[in-house]
Amino acid sequence: MSQELIDAITEMREDDVVAITNQLLDQGVAPTDILMSCKQAMDVIGKRFEEGDAFIPELILAGEMMTSVTDILKPRMAEEATSDKLGKIVIGTVQGDIHDIAKDIVAFMLDLNGFDVTDLGVDVPPEKFVQTVQETGATIVGLSGFLTLAFDPMKDTVTAFKAAGLDDVKIMIGGGQIDENIRQYTGADAYGRDAMAAVDLAKGWV
Amino acid sequence: MMQPGRTSVIACATVLEEITPLLPEGMTCVELDFGLHLKPANLKQVLQEAIDKASEDADTVLLGYGLCSMAVVGLTATNCTLVVPKVDDCIAIFMGSRQAYSAQSGAEPGTYYLTKGWIEVSDTIWDEYQKLVERHGEPRAQRMMRLMLKNYTRLAYIDTGHRDQDHYRDYARMVADAFQLRYEEVQGSNRMVEKLLKGPWDDEFVVAEPGQTISYADFQTTNRIAGNSFGITPAPSTSQT
Repeated sequence: MSQELIDAITEMREDDVVAITNQLLDQGVAPTDILMSCKQAMDVIGKRFEEGDAFIPELILAGEMMTSVTDILKPRMAEEATSDKLGKIVIGTVQGDIHDIAKDIVAFMLDLNGFDVTDLGVDVPPEKFVQTVQETGATIVGLSGFLTLAFDPMKDTVTAFKAAGLDDVKIMIGGGQIDENIRQYTGADAYGRDAMAAVDLAKGWV
Repeated sequence: MMQPGRTSVIACATVLEEITPLLPEGMTCVELDFGLHLKPANLKQVLQEAIDKASEDADTVLLGYGLCSMAVVGLTATNCTLVVPKVDDCIAIFMGSRQAYSAQSGAEPGTYYLTKGWIEVSDTIWDEYQKLVERHGEPRAQRMMRLMLKNYTRLAYIDTGHRDQDHYRDYARMVADAFQLRYEEVQGSNRMVEKLLKGPWDDEFVVAEPGQTISYADFQTTNRIAGNSFGITPAPSTSQT
């Protein structure tokens, strides 16, 4: 565990985070150890937010710093990982919603866990999801949405897959206040509360 | 039949701003903290407590809220009727209908909305930015705000018809400029507020009878636009840039 890296992240020193990550790698520290430090730092920031002592933009910058670190680590970790992908996933924020912080984290974790992820971004219409699944041959779809306004477009997207005869495609939803009631309303196969839940769901489907 | 003297309104400060001018004589009003919307579980709890308290003296409790991140789902009043606008959040209340809000957000989902009420309670991206500057300095605060707003293209000021609009309009325009958002004005309407206070509580409202619990299903509109939630033409908005 690198306290220096943890401090740099929790103090939002973005440039230092990148520099320290590179230094640690040069010193021969394993990428997984660096990720552990990141996780520790994110726990600190998450706790602060819970206690009302951190603002949303700070969470977002923290997420951005995580992306920078993992971008550095990924090539090194790929050498260790198997090259075979577990499966193909199409993910995106549904039509009418533009929130993507959590969706980006989910896409990132799925990628890190061996999935081939196509991220369609935000405000994605149902037909775009369907078309991309047809093109890529993906077997799993992740629909994200933060607003309650996103529930109807999620339902529409699930319906669009059924209408296209893609009944075998597994659809998970997540974001905001989504629960079992909303899963039933949208007709999705499952919902997840966080990125690890999404990874577990996806692994269970391949 | 609704009696103002036996009716209580519970609303957050921003919605109350629109309710107060139309409040029928004799009707009581309870203001809840605006910041609660960020923590739906807390909001739910505070709302339930406020409902329990209000129902001691009222037959009807009107909530100046929408779904508000599902905070109203699960609420119940044992001895009185609960009435809630069938909307996602207060933006639809300010615009006068769920349809008007859908039209705006469907046309441009990346819209940050402002009203007089929000500016008054100091809960805007500008206030947030000031706190970040204090904590991290300007460059880093700017970087954080840019990241947060990266999918936003427009700032829409909802003109809810108050007399001193110009002051708030100037503020909204300043915020739009500061974060490189296109400034627009959207016509607000007190239609929904008036209907909440005076009825009729038709299918634009969730009406929970005494003992009934509000569910998400109650918020599903019967008149949902067929097959597409965003298939309606946006209401006209005036560009002020």
